[in-house]
Amino acid sequence: MSFDLQGVRVVYPGRAGPVQALDGVTLRIATGERVAVLGPSGAGKSTLLRLLNATLRPTSGVLRIHGRDSASLRGRDLRRLRRGIGTIFQHPSLVPPLSALQNALCGRIASWSLLRSVRALVAPPPDEVRLARSALATVGLIERAGARADELSGGQQQRVAIARVLVQDPQVVLADEPFASLDPGLTVQLADLLGRVCEKRTLVAMLHDVQLAVERFPRIVGLRSGRVLFDLPAREVTPGRLQDLYAREGGG
Amino acid sequence: MKRAVLGGAVGAAFVLCWMGAGIQPSALADPANLRAVGGFARGLFPPDVSPAFLRVVGEATVRTLGISVAGTVLSAILGLLLGVLGTASLWRRGPLVEVDGRGFASALSVGARGLARFLRSVPDLVWALLFVVGFGLGPLPGTLALAVSYAGVLGRVYADLFEAVPEGPVLALHSAGASRLQVFAAAIWPQAAGSVTAYTLYSFECCVRSAAVLGFVGAGGIGAEINLSMRLFEYGQVTTLLAAFVILVLCVDALSRALRGRFRRNAVHGSGVLRDVVELRPMRRGLPILWALLLVAAFGQAGFGALLAPGAFQHLGRFAAQLFPPDVSPAFLASILGPLWQTVAISVIGTALGMLLGGALALPAAAPLMFDPEAAVRPVRALFYAGARLTLALLRSIPELIWVLLCILAVGLGPFAGVLALGLHTAGVLGKLYAESLEEVPPDAVEELRGIGASGLQRLLWGAWPQARETLASYTLLRWEHNLRASTVVGLAGGGGLGLALYNAVQLGFYDRAATLVMVVFLLVSVTDALAHRLRRRPAAETAPDSALTLVAEAG
Repeated sequence: MSFDLQGVRVVYPGRAGPVQALDGVTLRIATGERVAVLGPSGAGKSTLLRLLNATLRPTSGVLRIHGRDSASLRGRDLRRLRRGIGTIFQHPSLVPPLSALQNALCGRIASWSLLRSVRALVAPPPDEVRLARSALATVGLIERAGARADELSGGQQQRVAIARVLVQDPQVVLADEPFASLDPGLTVQLADLLGRVCEKRTLVAMLHDVQLAVERFPRIVGLRSGRVLFDLPAREVTPGRLQDLYAREGGG
Repeated sequence: MKRAVLGGAVGAAFVLCWMGAGIQPSALADPANLRAVGGFARGLFPPDVSPAFLRVVGEATVRTLGISVAGTVLSAILGLLLGVLGTASLWRRGPLVEVDGRGFASALSVGARGLARFLRSVPDLVWALLFVVGFGLGPLPGTLALAVSYAGVLGRVYADLFEAVPEGPVLALHSAGASRLQVFAAAIWPQAAGSVTAYTLYSFECCVRSAAVLGFVGAGGIGAEINLSMRLFEYGQVTTLLAAFVILVLCVDALSRALRGRFRRNAVHGSGVLRDVVELRPMRRGLPILWALLLVAAFGQAGFGALLAPGAFQHLGRFAAQLFPPDVSPAFLASILGPLWQTVAISVIGTALGMLLGGALALPAAAPLMFDPEAAVRPVRALFYAGARLTLALLRSIPELIWVLLCILAVGLGPFAGVLALGLHTAGVLGKLYAESLEEVPPDAVEELRGIGASGLQRLLWGAWPQARETLASYTLLRWEHNLRASTVVGLAGGGGLGLALYNAVQLGFYDRAATLVMVVFLLVSVTDALAHRLRRRPAAETAPDSALTLVAEAG
């Protein structure tokens, strides 16, 4: 699955006038690529992520996901598109009263009919339970399968979110600062896990951790104030460029 | 296995209730009944707006408002007394923190809480029925009924609020040598005052709704006029009176909401009432006099002049003496069993009906389900949404007792009319609470499901429902408790059950039997209260105490 952004602008209606989150972003991500997006807080990383997983439409400009203009899709077509895109958030919002297993099962939801979703809530089909259990085993949480999501620690919830992506089996995985709220030991562990999970998939990660990005991603996109500052292979990202990227406004 | 047995037991109980409530769906299609309903519906229009009748409506509305203001003031005073006495931590012997369940002091708080339970377990309409005999027809018995029954509610709410204050300041003052009442005045009251005001205003909203209904047993106000117009087949007048009632309720709700100040709704539980802070600003000069005058006017409207009439108290004394000793002969007790079962059955089936109808209306009435953030606003959906909201408002703004009169037209006298009446009113209340609970589910998880590709109904099933179901169940249970009391009330108007037995006993002058029936109602409500309390497990830390939630659910 590929992404093609051309002059994409996103403007939010803010309380004190409109807020421009993305200002003319042009970017192409090919199938199977691994891209890290770096940038200071407020650069527009989360907005970019919501564009890519088709829960937000550009205010102007064109966004093509897998060759299709995302603004032209509605209803079922849009849901089918989203089915192929898995997302992991910084604080994954699992459904709190559902168990880890049920939350992992949610990955299949887009391929269920309405009747099947009702049935799956009470008695999920055995083959899908097997799938979800093996995903939980992959992320090392099989013994917590029956626990409510809100009883799990932050790191465990993050792993359930990865298991859900495994169950969903998408062509693309998007990650929004997936390790930002974890301690360093866990970060390495989960980064390895994510790398394994995404071996044959396109991966786009919004990251804070520069070192992690440069070590593990061949291509780095620097985003600042809603614009692409640079788009380079990891080895060409120099300390000078990073300094420009993270410099405070007004040269401070 | 265990689940199957439990399911079987619930199913069997439901079937028994179904039979006990005398459900006859065929009565709904009976041609004679359909004609009666048709005649009523046609008669509602045009409303009677002749100047002479509008004058009557105006006077009745003012009287209803007067009754509810006076009733609320009295109930707050009585409730405060019961609340302070019922705050167990205040009256414990020895150190304030040490748990000691024995002794005179704790018997005092147990007694106060017991009295409060008794006062609120007997429905206000039953109190009114008794007071009408004791004081004669007029607004006074209605006011006293409100005062007594809401004192029971507020007594419990106040006591719960007083016990829930952070205990740091309480301990600090106590260890510095303050007496119990000093601790109350300096550490408990200031912390609880905001919530106490907020809940008193809630109870005022409930009082206005009740006051309009009390007229049905002869306590004056809008209810008495509606009853009279129904009996005279002047349905055009009924329309005008109902409109006046709805406008009064809406005005009072708006006023109360404005007084409660900024009202922040809690995320899931819809009960963030404890978090809203009511600022108690000092009154401007001149205002106290105005308030005092209004209060005197309210008490005047509420018929307190009747107390000054000679012989008023002698009459009351004679009546009270006739209540004792209650008739507990085996033959009479055996004759109660039938109506008792009928009352329970009416409440269960009525609540179930309300749950289904309310649930069906709640889906189109929940905004996030109807208005997909990514789709353009669809006019058809907007129409459904507005229609559902309006239907719910209509269903709940008409009191149960008026629904009974309408349902009697549709299916004839008897418990089935009571079931339909409870069901329709309950649907309005529960539908609104359901819709709001679904709207207040934290959106993050639901939003993530959208990102995975879940459709609107799937997001409801897997995202909103699991998070809201405990709140929904808790509201339903609270409403069932309310309906158990209401089902004795619908009996008073011909809906069968204990209410009918009580009405007959009072009309025929068998006051000793009436006393027994009141005790039976009290026992029934207490037992189910205790049962429901055990059933209800709300795991999330709740900001509002249980009793307070009840009040919110009832004002809803």
